[in-house]
Amino acid sequence: MASHGIPRVSGTLVDKSEQAKEKERRQIERYKAAEAEVIDRIRVKDYSATTLQATSTLLAQNPEYYTIWNHRRLVLQDAIAKEPTRTQPDDDIDAADLTAARLANQTPAQHQIALLLTEDLAFLLPLLKQYPKCYWIWNHRAWLLATATQHLPTSSAVTLWQGEMGLVTKMLGMDSRNFHGWGYRRTAVAALEGLSGGDVSLVEPEFEYTTKMIRANLSNFSAWHNRGRLIPRLLVERQASSEDRRKLFDAEFELITTALYTDPYDQSLWFYHQYLMSTLDTGNKHSVSILEPCTHGDRVRYLEQEIESIREMLDGAEDCKYIYQALLEYSMRYLEMEVEAGNQKVTTAERKGWLEELRKIDPLREGRWNDLESKMKL
Amino acid sequence: MSLAAGPGRGGGGGAQGQLPDEMKVVVEKHVAYIQSLDTRREELEYHLTEHLRISGIYWGLTALHLLGHPDALPRDGVLDFLFSCLHADGGFGAAPGHDPHMLYTVSSVQILAMVDGFDELEKRMKDGKLKVAKYIAGLQQPNGTFAGDEWGETDTRFLYCALNALSLLGFLPSQQADQPPLIDVPAATAYVKACQNFDGGFGTEPGAESHSGQVFTCCGALSITGELDSYLGEEGKDRLGAWLSERQLPSGGLNGRPEKLVDVCYSWWVMSSMAMIGRLHWIDKAKLTAFILQCQDPEEGGFADRPGDMVDVFHTVFGLAGLSLLGHPGLVEVDPA
Repeated sequence: MASHGIPRVSGTLVDKSEQAKEKERRQIERYKAAEAEVIDRIRVKDYSATTLQATSTLLAQNPEYYTIWNHRRLVLQDAIAKEPTRTQPDDDIDAADLTAARLANQTPAQHQIALLLTEDLAFLLPLLKQYPKCYWIWNHRAWLLATATQHLPTSSAVTLWQGEMGLVTKMLGMDSRNFHGWGYRRTAVAALEGLSGGDVSLVEPEFEYTTKMIRANLSNFSAWHNRGRLIPRLLVERQASSEDRRKLFDAEFELITTALYTDPYDQSLWFYHQYLMSTLDTGNKHSVSILEPCTHGDRVRYLEQEIESIREMLDGAEDCKYIYQALLEYSMRYLEMEVEAGNQKVTTAERKGWLEELRKIDPLREGRWNDLESKMKL
Repeated sequence: MSLAAGPGRGGGGGAQGQLPDEMKVVVEKHVAYIQSLDTRREELEYHLTEHLRISGIYWGLTALHLLGHPDALPRDGVLDFLFSCLHADGGFGAAPGHDPHMLYTVSSVQILAMVDGFDELEKRMKDGKLKVAKYIAGLQQPNGTFAGDEWGETDTRFLYCALNALSLLGFLPSQQADQPPLIDVPAATAYVKACQNFDGGFGTEPGAESHSGQVFTCCGALSITGELDSYLGEEGKDRLGAWLSERQLPSGGLNGRPEKLVDVCYSWWVMSSMAMIGRLHWIDKAKLTAFILQCQDPEEGGFADRPGDMVDVFHTVFGLAGLSLLGHPGLVEVDPA
């Protein structure tokens, strides 16, 4: 009902052969039978392994069927609820399992729950690879991990969450912009940090991960975004001095400037540059702080430095609209702060020229440039 | 999204007479396409998409209203189906037998508002409106956001859905000043504000990357509570407007995030947000109109995500809503929030 990127074949509806229609009829029958199998069993509260298998069959064919995921969770919840009543080892649990449970500091019941949840995580793997943007699969995975955290010893939950970090790294390797993946990664990080009771911080490795992702592909705003989100905590945890903070700020400018020289036409990079500049902007409610203290002199100096550096980028990239946008935006902020000195560093004629170029290169946003002109009072 | 009251631009495509063929909305074909959707039971796809059915009806019905053919789906049939999805707890599922969920509850409330069916709800369920409102309110979490259902997934989509549906039902605290509030509005709006990023955009939860869909839900939520203007201010609108206007690519189409592909559905998510903050003139409307029209199937009706792809009802309604917001002749006007 909501299809993305599937080519249109004109007239498919009318041209289906009798044979094709018959084939589709049989497919529908099989699908409806698989659906009835699950629904009939759930109606009579049959939460058996057979019902679980029936939901697997149906979900593998249609992972968007949210009600079936709910049914699956009912079956799992039922199995989990029955476990703690089993205090004595019985025929269902063999000696090897008991040993494994002891080694993992789990009760026999916990061991059975761990096995059940691990099996379900494994069932999801191929589905997630086939449907990486399906909300319901990610959602079920998050539920399994939350359930594990609730029922298993902390060490077991940590092991499972560490597995999730590996999985999400693989998923982001396949599609580095998948926002489900990035969201799940932040959830996994928070869970691992939470389970450690505050002893473990993953800020450093996560920061390192964004560096790695950016190096693999500069045009990854998801990674740049996460990097910007991590920096304030990173600085706090490093107990960074003013000098350390300045060093990091300068290093980030160096990183993004090199990237911009590689591809000035990529807006992901310009948004990260904006992020760095927003830390100097007291008017932005959602900017974070990097320099501490951040004086008026610092703000002016960095604005001057960046205006100068971006101006140099024009050489050979005169047709790049983002350069003019950045120059206009930063020079406006600069002039608001330092009117007299500003007029020497950036002239009105120069700003008019940038706006003129911008209008020529980027006529799509003409209305915005008109408003900008009024705002700049040129 | 709801339809604005008052005079539209007239339906039936009569107002399009002066336009060249490639600029015309094939109104009759879209109507026929939407009417055909429920008769395609011999297709596997029909059955595989049952989990979206009630939203599909909402999208189809909205599209028909925009096309000036609000009665092209039979009201009684729509209502009978809708009530067959209603659960005793006041939530709606996507189809009979499907579990209740916020997404399908808001679609149902929107349908009821569109077909003027709230009296019918009261007839079929005692205190029906209040029960539905309580189902929605019950999904609010201590941190202010809303879950999709009892299983607990949260997302700013559900938060917007809750405010939208409660406002249509007339059960927002501001609409019920003499009653104890059903939901904590300040907590909800505080949560929305925590989802905003330095670039002016909003994400699915605090810390998440800005995304056009979430910009729509968050702006929509603040617009319903009446805080959007005062919260963003002119600087905030300029920042968000700049981010949104950069969604337009040389093809004229809009994408959802930096460096992603264009898609017709963003015609709605991006443009309605721009309209809410008074920055709709920051993109090229003529080029966007041409792009949306290239996504229309002129033979069989319906719109696709991109030119030449398969059409579906989701992209059909957002394509038409986009064209309506652009003031395209022959379509009824739409309210961005």
